[in-house]
Formats: sequence, C-alpha cells, structure tokens
Amino acid sequence: MKARFTILISIVVLLSGVFGVAAQDTFFGQTAEDLFPIPEVAETELEQTLAFEALMNANIPDGHALGEGKTITFGVLGQGSRGGISGTIYFWRNAFEAATGAELEIVEIPYNQLGTTIPADFLTGQYTYDVFIGAAWQYGDWVSNGWIQPIDQWIGDERFAHWSPEDTAPAFRALLQWGGETYGSQMDGDAQLLYYRHDILSDPEWHAAYEEEVGEPMPYPIVTWQDLLAITSFFNGKDWNGDGDPDDGISLHLAPGGQGHFHFATLAASFAVTPADGDDPRAVSKYDNVFWFDPDDMTPLINEPGHVMALEFLQELAATGQEAQFGWQLGEAWDNFLGGNAIATFSWGDVGSLSQNVERSAIRGSLGADVTPCSSEWYDRELGEVVVDTENPNCVGNTTGGSWHPTMSTFSENPELTYFYMALIANPSINFYNATTGWQGVDPCCTYQLYEPRGTAVSEDYTAVGFDASDMERYINAYGSNVYDKPTSVTYLRIPGTLEYIQETLDIRLSEAMTGQSTAQEALDNTAEDWADITDDLDVDSQLEIYQQAIGYMGGM
Amino acid sequence: MTNNRAKYYFLMPGVIWILAFTLFPLLYSFGLSLTNYRLGRNPKYIGFENYAEILGIGDEKVDKKAVSTASFSAFLFLGSTATTLFFGTFVAWVFNHNLPFLRQMRAVITMPLFAAPIALGWLGVVLFNEQSGPINNVLEGIGLGRVNWFIEPMPARFAVMLTDVWQWTPFVFIVVLAAMQSVPDDLYESAQLDTKSNWVLFRWITFPMIAPALGTVMLLRMVESLKIIDIPYSLTRGGPGSVTQTYVYYAYETGLVGSFQLGEAAALAYLMVVVSIVITSIYFYRVRERFE
Repeated sequence: MKARFTILISIVVLLSGVFGVAAQDTFFGQTAEDLFPIPEVAETELEQTLAFEALMNANIPDGHALGEGKTITFGVLGQGSRGGISGTIYFWRNAFEAATGAELEIVEIPYNQLGTTIPADFLTGQYTYDVFIGAAWQYGDWVSNGWIQPIDQWIGDERFAHWSPEDTAPAFRALLQWGGETYGSQMDGDAQLLYYRHDILSDPEWHAAYEEEVGEPMPYPIVTWQDLLAITSFFNGKDWNGDGDPDDGISLHLAPGGQGHFHFATLAASFAVTPADGDDPRAVSKYDNVFWFDPDDMTPLINEPGHVMALEFLQELAATGQEAQFGWQLGEAWDNFLGGNAIATFSWGDVGSLSQNVERSAIRGSLGADVTPCSSEWYDRELGEVVVDTENPNCVGNTTGGSWHPTMSTFSENPELTYFYMALIANPSINFYNATTGWQGVDPCCTYQLYEPRGTAVSEDYTAVGFDASDMERYINAYGSNVYDKPTSVTYLRIPGTLEYIQETLDIRLSEAMTGQSTAQEALDNTAEDWADITDDLDVDSQLEIYQQAIGYMGGM
Repeated sequence: MTNNRAKYYFLMPGVIWILAFTLFPLLYSFGLSLTNYRLGRNPKYIGFENYAEILGIGDEKVDKKAVSTASFSAFLFLGSTATTLFFGTFVAWVFNHNLPFLRQMRAVITMPLFAAPIALGWLGVVLFNEQSGPINNVLEGIGLGRVNWFIEPMPARFAVMLTDVWQWTPFVFIVVLAAMQSVPDDLYESAQLDTKSNWVLFRWITFPMIAPALGTVMLLRMVESLKIIDIPYSLTRGGPGSVTQTYVYYAYETGLVGSFQLGEAAALAYLMVVVSIVITSIYFYRVRERFE
C-alpha cells in the first residue's frame, strides 16, 4: 500500500512537473520558436531566448475575448521588420496575435512621408489606422484636430498588460500627455547625449600630447561645448586609433531630411535658453525657458544672438570632422563613431546600445557617455546681451527627438484590442528588452531602466544581456542625469505645423549655412521669416494659444 | 440615324476619359489655385493672390523658393536636354556603323530607360558616394581628385543632371538610331564620291535627315526635364540646402507634404503649365515655319 502511495505521489509530482514546465515554456500554446522564428523575427537563439523570457515575465493576460477574429491596423515609421521603431511592432506581432487571436496589419510610413500620410488619412476621412507611431512633436496637429484619443480609462485595467506612466521619467511622461490626459503609451525615450572615446580621452599619453601641443591641460571631463571643440580640434586628422589613416574629431550627420536639425536644437539650447530664477528653474516666462517663439506673440526667436552663436559654433565643430558628413544621414554618422573613427559625437540613446553590438561596433568597452555639454557663453534674453562665464556655464538638458510611441486613433473601431497591443509593448519587461537590442531604436525612458538613485535597474540587468558593465554605467547614468539633474531642459515644440517649421524650413536653412551657401545669421534670419509666414498662414492667435499650452506658459514675466 | 448614334457610342469612352482625367482636373485645379485652400480647412476665394505671391506682383514679395527651384529646373531644362541629345546622337551614330557586338551592346545601353527614376536616384546615392562611390574612385584614379557630390551646390546639381542624362540618353539613342537607319544608303554613296570625312557626311547628310526626329526628341526631353522630381527626391533630398530642389518638387512639397497648401501648389503647377505651353508653341511654330 505504502509502495503504491509512493508511486502515485511520484506520478503526480512528475506530471505536475511536466505540465508545469510545459506551461512555462509556451505562451498561449506558442513556443519561443513559434513566436520568434529565426531568421524571420529573431536573428539569433540568444535573441529568441531573451525575448521569450521578457514576454513570459510580462504576465500578459488572455485577450481572446477582445480580439478573436478581429484585425487592427498599425501605422508605423517605416524602417523595415528589423529596423528602428517599426522593428518593435513586427517583433511582438506574433505574441499579440497569440494572446488575442486577432490579426495585426502593419503599414510602414517612410520618415519623410510621416507628415503627409497620417494627416492625409484623417483629413480625407479614410481612418486606415487603429493605432500609429509618430513622433511626439506631431501632438499639436493630432490633438488639436481630434485625431487621437486619451487612453487613461484603460491604464491599470487588469485585462491588459501592466504599465504605468508613473514609471516613466517626468520629462518623457510629459511627451505622452496633453492637457493632463495621457494619449501615448510608453515605448521610446529620446534624448541626446555626448558620446566619446573613454579609452582615448582617459589615456595619460594623449593628455601629455595635448598639453604639449595646446599648452594647457586637456579639458576632460568635458563640461562645456567649448571643451568639446578644443578636444575634437586636437584629435581631428591624427591617427589616434592606429589604423594608419587620419581619424576624425567629431561625427555628425547634416544632410537635409536626415534629422540633423535635432542636433542643432540640442546644441543651441545651452546658448539660447536660460533657466528661470527662483524655486523652479523650469518655469516658463517671456525670457526664460523659451527657445522657439516669444510666448507672448509668436515672434520667432530662432535668429536671436544665442541661436546664431550656436550655429556658428556648430560650423566650427563640424569642421573638426569629415567634410563628407554634410551629406550623411543619421546611420552614417553613428557608424563612423561606432567604427572607431571619431573621438566624439552627440546623438540619441541608440548609440549607447548599438555600441554593445560587436557586429556593428568596434568600441564596446571604450564608450564614454555624458550629458550634452553646457556653454560658457549664452544669450540672456532678459538682459539683451551675451553672457560669458567659464566658471558657471549655462546647462540645459533635452528630450530632443521623436520619442516614438503608439497613439490610438479616435476613429478606431476596436479601441480595447488596440490598447491591448499598446500596453503589451509598454510593459516594463518588454520595453526593457527592446531598449537593450539597439537595432529597435528604442531608448531608455523609465525608472526601471535607470540606475539608483534615479531608478531601480542594476548593473546585472544589462550585463545579463551581454552589455559591458562600465560602458553601461556611463551611458545609463548620463541618460538619467540628462532628465533628472539638468536645471532645465529645452522646451519641446509640438504645435500644429511643427513639421513645416522644422523639417521644411529650419532643416533646409541649416543645411544652407553648413554647406557655405549662407552665413549663420542669414540662414536663421531666413528661417525666422519663413516661420513668421507659416504662423500667419496657420493663424497667429490659434498657434499662440496652442504654443503656450504646449510649453506651459502662463503669461507674465 | 442608327449609324450616327453608333459613332457617338464609339466616341464616348474617349470623351469620358478626356473629361474625367484631363478637363476636370485642369479646371478643378485652376479653381483651387484661386483659393487659399489647405487640406482640412475651409477654402476661401482669394482671386489671383497665389499667383501674385509667387511672382512678387503688387505688394507681395517674390517667392524666393519658387525662383530658386525654377532656376534649378531651368538648369536641368538646358543642361540635361543638351547633354542627352549630344550623347544620344553620338551613341546612335556609333551604332549606325557595322561594329561587332552592337546588338548586345544596344540591349545593355537601353536598360536605364526601363528603370524607375526613383530607383536610379537611390543607385546614384551609391555611385556618387563621396568616400567609396565608384565615380569618385575613378576620378581619383585618373588624378582628378574626389568631388563632394552631395555637399557642394554645383556638384550636387551635376549629380542630379547626370543621373537624369543616364536615364534618358537611351531614349534619344533609340529614336535617333531609327531615324539614322531610315536615311537611304545611296545618299551616302553619292556623297562619298566627294568626301570621305565622317564629319562632313554627318553635317550635310545625316543631320538634316534626322533633324525632325531630333526636334521631337528635344521637345519631349525639354518638357520631361521640367517635370523631374523623383531623382532629386531620392538622390539628394533637394540638398544641400535646397539647391537641387526642382520647381515640381517644391510644388509637391507645398501641396502634399506637411502643410497641404493645395491652393498655392495648384498655382505653382499652373505656372508650370503655362511655361510648358509656351515651349511647345514655340516649337510647333518653328516646325510649321520650316516645313510649310
């Protein structure tokens, strides 16, 4: 009897073990191989395993009641199934379909068509997309036209994957919201950092060489843009990587239509924006924390002395890199730095995660990262003069970029099913995984990705996915410092016509200045003229009201 | 009566086609050009204000962008047309002789004609790449040094023009070769009694005989060159700055990108129609003058 009982118990334990393992190894009946087949979805077994682990840790609820037999359409920045931003939507599609029984159609929209395709779809009443990923700067158009709807009612609902806007760093959270309501689910947190070659800049021999040539110590750590220029000027044209060819100081991308204008905004912030006096340095007044327009009358500020100084500085800085960069797109500038041919670059978080991919990067283990520098000279709008102070430089952070994330169409016929996928992608476990891949173009946004004291991540979270611990310490801390420690940050332009102001005018005028077709002053004067015309066309009063709302201007000094 | 009705039935598809796809768009876009219509906003009739803004008539300042893009279109109009005609005619003249492998070479030479211009633009990105493109490698190899095709304004303009020439030279080649092959051999045989010079034969025999075909090709190329948008769109994105943005590219951006200013874009397009009509009228006037 005792033997029978023992056998029975053993069988029960064995079976429960077998079924337990089976339950853990499948996601709604799908294995890692089913969900992330190689090479259609994942590239390597490691990627497949890590993605599946992230999915299992996300505790995705059963969504079949919402999705069985339905189809939703997702419009996304088009960069292919293994490209930045769109790659994320493809990557988790099988998981969404397994969890809901629904079908997900993906429509890719090229970067240069974003301003056309989505507005045209709404304006002509086609309403193709249930959900779409655009850039946060398009909120002005989307919200004021009523094209997207708030999602607050579903956040925290147990029928959907868990995510919370409270996990998102405040600077990025603001980009998901408008007028106190949440419209976007978390995905990407764009901000620009300074990246440099830590191994070279911390090498005593190079310090000695610098001092011998320049006559003063190398300004490292880099605090100001002026320090950066001194360093890139010294290294430009020298064979500091030992490959037999002269190497670059800086690596930038400056072709029109290639997002180069964002880098100008990041750089110009410290030359043109002043933090507010008093308890809240981020408070917006007529003179402080304004970058784009005068918040009282929409007069363009783009040709004020601070902006002009910044563009002249960018011209000087660009001269410490290859001439070819004036025709480069984003990826070419990154690859030049990642290939070990440039001492520094400043760009989005992608550089940090891509630097860990040894197939694309030669600098894993040598990455230096810091917040974008301060400036020792800047224009004070209130004083109406340029201030020079090398001891207390002006420091302004940024959330420059698209911070690409899903927003739901007001006209979606399946809003809950649509939100199901938005929440799945926003889940901390999945979002953490996405940000570590590099190729997805998803950058850190949230406390669970930042180290203490700003967040809850630890070094092992990153080393577990194969990242270099010291690279990550510099990179993640710089990311956190940018959004938490800088006294203020350049305001984000998201008013109707943002694409017209930025992409169709500023971008082209900057290119004219950078390729010697006009001076910095001429280029920015022309931009200001263009902007004034655009504002007139769009109606000054309406633009002013939305601009004030977008930057949080309450009026007064 | 029945026969009379039948002829209307036969005419009907053509008439409907013309009305729907030529006349209606023409009239509708003209009406649009007299408004300040932006997609999503109510249009307001503003008369010829869009035209005045573009041309700088009255109190309005001339639209500098329209002028600069029109100047690049004019550059392509002259440069691309002349270069295509020259190379197309030269290649046709070579192929009009009995040389080995001509048939195979002819197939190869006509290939760019069948490619989409936007694809040729992307291919141009590779070919003109400043650092590793084959064109710069060749130029450096023969001691001419590298050219900053996408950085400096004039090389960028030439990059667009050369890509367009590359695509359209085969078209000129095919038409002109057909014209050359229709020239009777006895004309050459008679002339060869007086001269052996290829140039004299070409100048006094071939050229006059192919002139009508060349004229037609030139007209088509001129009108075609005014419509170029795809090559600069994919090759240079209109840069550096906007020096390679053509007039049509500008009209496209005005009407269909970001701001959707359809009224102004229609006015820009109409001005282009006027220019095209003037060019073709001059051509037909000259043809009539010559042959009547």
